[in-house]
Amino acid sequence: MSKITRRKFLAASAAGGTAIMMAPTKKAFAAGSFEGFPDGMGVLVDLTRCVGCRTCEAACNKEQKLPEPALPFDDYSVFDEIHHGNQKRRTTDKAYTIVNRYDLKDSDEPLYRKIQCNHCNEPACLTSCFVNAYTKTPEGAVIYNSHVCVGCRNCMIACPFHIPAYTYHSVLNPVIKKCIFCYDTRLKEGRPPACVESCPQQVMTFGKRKDLMVIAHERIKKNPDKYIDHVYGEKEVGGTGWFYISSAPFEEAGFDVHLPKKPIIDNVKDFLAIVPVVLTVWPALFTGFHLLATKGKSHGHGDDHSHDEQEGH
Amino acid sequence: MVNASKQLITGLGVLLLFSVLSVSCYAMDYPEEVEIDSLANLYEPVIFDHAMHVDATEGCAECHHHTTGTPVLNAYCAKCHTGDVEMDVVACQDCHSADPVSPENLHNPKPGYSYHNDQPNLKAAYHLKCLGCHREVDGPTGCEDCHAKTEAGDKFYHSGEFAPKEDAQHGAEHE
Amino acid sequence: MKKLETFGIKPHDASLKADGEKWSIMEKLLLGLTLDQYIGQAIRNKLNWFFAIIFAIGIPVIIYRFIFSLGAVTHASYDYPWGLFLGFGLFCMVPLSASGFMLGTTVEVFGRHDFEPIERLALLNGLLGYFFAVVYLLVDLGQPWRLSYPMVYSFGPAAVLFLVGWHVATYLSVQVAEVSTAFFEWIGFQRGYDFIRKGTIGLTVAGIILSTLHQGALGALFLYAPGKVHPLWYSAPFQWILFFISSIPAGLCMVICVSTIVIHTMKWRCDKRFIDNLDWITIALAKGSAMGLITYLIMKFIAIAHDNEWAYFFTGWGAWWWFEILGFVILPLVILSYGIHNKLVGLCRIGAFLTVLGILLNRLNTALITFNWQLYQEIPHYLEFVIAITIFAIYVATYRFILARLPILYKFRSQAEE
Repeated sequence: MSKITRRKFLAASAAGGTAIMMAPTKKAFAAGSFEGFPDGMGVLVDLTRCVGCRTCEAACNKEQKLPEPALPFDDYSVFDEIHHGNQKRRTTDKAYTIVNRYDLKDSDEPLYRKIQCNHCNEPACLTSCFVNAYTKTPEGAVIYNSHVCVGCRNCMIACPFHIPAYTYHSVLNPVIKKCIFCYDTRLKEGRPPACVESCPQQVMTFGKRKDLMVIAHERIKKNPDKYIDHVYGEKEVGGTGWFYISSAPFEEAGFDVHLPKKPIIDNVKDFLAIVPVVLTVWPALFTGFHLLATKGKSHGHGDDHSHDEQEGH
Repeated sequence: MVNASKQLITGLGVLLLFSVLSVSCYAMDYPEEVEIDSLANLYEPVIFDHAMHVDATEGCAECHHHTTGTPVLNAYCAKCHTGDVEMDVVACQDCHSADPVSPENLHNPKPGYSYHNDQPNLKAAYHLKCLGCHREVDGPTGCEDCHAKTEAGDKFYHSGEFAPKEDAQHGAEHE
Repeated sequence: MKKLETFGIKPHDASLKADGEKWSIMEKLLLGLTLDQYIGQAIRNKLNWFFAIIFAIGIPVIIYRFIFSLGAVTHASYDYPWGLFLGFGLFCMVPLSASGFMLGTTVEVFGRHDFEPIERLALLNGLLGYFFAVVYLLVDLGQPWRLSYPMVYSFGPAAVLFLVGWHVATYLSVQVAEVSTAFFEWIGFQRGYDFIRKGTIGLTVAGIILSTLHQGALGALFLYAPGKVHPLWYSAPFQWILFFISSIPAGLCMVICVSTIVIHTMKWRCDKRFIDNLDWITIALAKGSAMGLITYLIMKFIAIAHDNEWAYFFTGWGAWWWFEILGFVILPLVILSYGIHNKLVGLCRIGAFLTVLGILLNRLNTALITFNWQLYQEIPHYLEFVIAITIFAIYVATYRFILARLPILYKFRSQAEE
């Protein structure tokens, strides 16, 4: 909670300030670390259970009132789609969640993986947004205020999971589109998102993130032969609200296993830290240089008043 | 242990009631056919041929865990459920809640059920059990192999008469 | 213009005509020529025809973009949200415009008034570069009419882009003020000129601060995408320093390039002071560039060593990295050094052109080419190229328009000569 209050406070202080006044707040702001809201909800995704029925995609489409899909949701030829030469399907402005099929090295059975916004504890999209359009709600959702979006698409650059999409084809009101954990229609009331509820296999288990993390580790512990001993999203980029357990190495299911364990914003803190330094030290330093460099030269070739001299011609 | 003894008492009651002493569930009365309809919406109810599955499986515990008086197969469950105790609840929906994540149910585990904190909901209990086994024994695995899609289902999946028209496909190719 | 000069016609370059009368604004705009003379020289100029063709194609495409959305002129890529408009327009134009604060510092802060002949060109180069970076941004933003939101409506102060936005806006104002002295001279607004001149030091120091920060911030923007930018072009602790340091030779070499073009194509507009001083100034700027380049080169290797990325040298991307470093950092460095040592202005100019190309390549590598190196490569939509080229042509045309009029390449005189 403290982070949000601080954020609001800073935003308010920034409103009255100049760029120079704001710089120290940037530092203070970035210096904190945020572990997620204690009672934030999350979803445990157990890839061993997924059979690739795409019901979650259909449920999402219905709940979020998304446009008609190109193919029926029970058409499994989409798993063979390849885009840009080597890419499986990804989330778009018309589909906030996608199931993809991965053929495994050591198994005849493929693995299916559902992707959607992972609702990071400290989201890169949120911290990269210069109009603060994103909010991490205490319930755990990362939601987005399209009324302030300028359309810079920095969040799409920042998202380590390639999730936010943009309605490029809208002329007057292009905005970011992504999974919002069904915040408006369900999460606010304590109900699980549509995809979770629709899943016949309960691939996804909804609950408090901290409770689910215990369950995830218990499942691994109870079935050491079945699961890889890793909860993807427990530590990745500072922890995500949605996290995965799997029977196969995560890289085989298309996960980026090289993501930093710290929030993305931590990479930027070094830079943000120098901002106040430059703002305070540079003026003194360069004024000093100026005084030293021009000492005794004030009447030399083309001094400060050289422009004025020309008026005398 | 409180759990186990509680269940033992319940189990004993059940035993007395039916006067069944055999360890085999085959001795139990069971329905020939079960219509699984409590969740039917997108799909028609499933007419489950229980008798055939009784013949096809090795023991009741394969589906019914510890409730039918046969030894449980899961080593983790066996830590508590040691006795050959029949219970008065055997149907899936007697334990597996259709809506385990309603706000009231979120405070799992319920008191006294601290080891049942990762219980699938009813829909998942059916599918995980059925489909899990079918995949292993090469049984039917397609959705409509077991239950036909309803009109609501076609609408939901945008399939059948609700399938996208050609021009809709065009719009989605912008990627 | 050359042809007119042979008839003894001189362009407007003073506040008063030779006969002591004041020039009207119209006369000033026409460079002191008659309308017929002006149109005549404009038609004779082949560059104008070239621009006409580009504008005839490009401006409708820009209008098309605003009527039919960004998706109509780009691939609408979710994986490459930033295309040429930002990859070239923002990330290349801004470092090439670092000249303003570099020369401002040299002349005003360090008191090297001998660099004055080139100071205004450098300031103008900065102003126009930033201004057109913003133009590119406006084309790229989904909702450009909300550009002021981060300034006045909704603040995201933890975002690097917030800093870039504020600093580019502030610095643009500073540069407008700096260049306005030339404008005030030209329109004859003495009080405005005096007022700005009094604040020169303040403006210059503000320029240094803002430039240090946002040149660096452009690099820091990519710190949000670890893993997306290839490790050889990504360094969490050094990215901002690399972008800042490389902007120094970028800005200086851009001034060398522009002055080279100007001296060859607009010599009529340059006064004796500019022409006589240009050679030694070019070599001096080349010296500064070489210093910047060597620092940049060392920092590049420090960054690689710090993150222990040597292994990448032996991959395909490593070869591409060496191409950039050998061809566009080390080679220009060698050329510049040789040119400086032997006082060969032409060689310095070649080195400067190479350096500018190197900065372009580096920024495009970071923002587009090596971005998503683990996914796939995407070549921007051809209309993106059309728009990018068109805006660049508008930039060059504006540049030329101002150079031809304001006292940038020449010192304004109070009265024209007979």
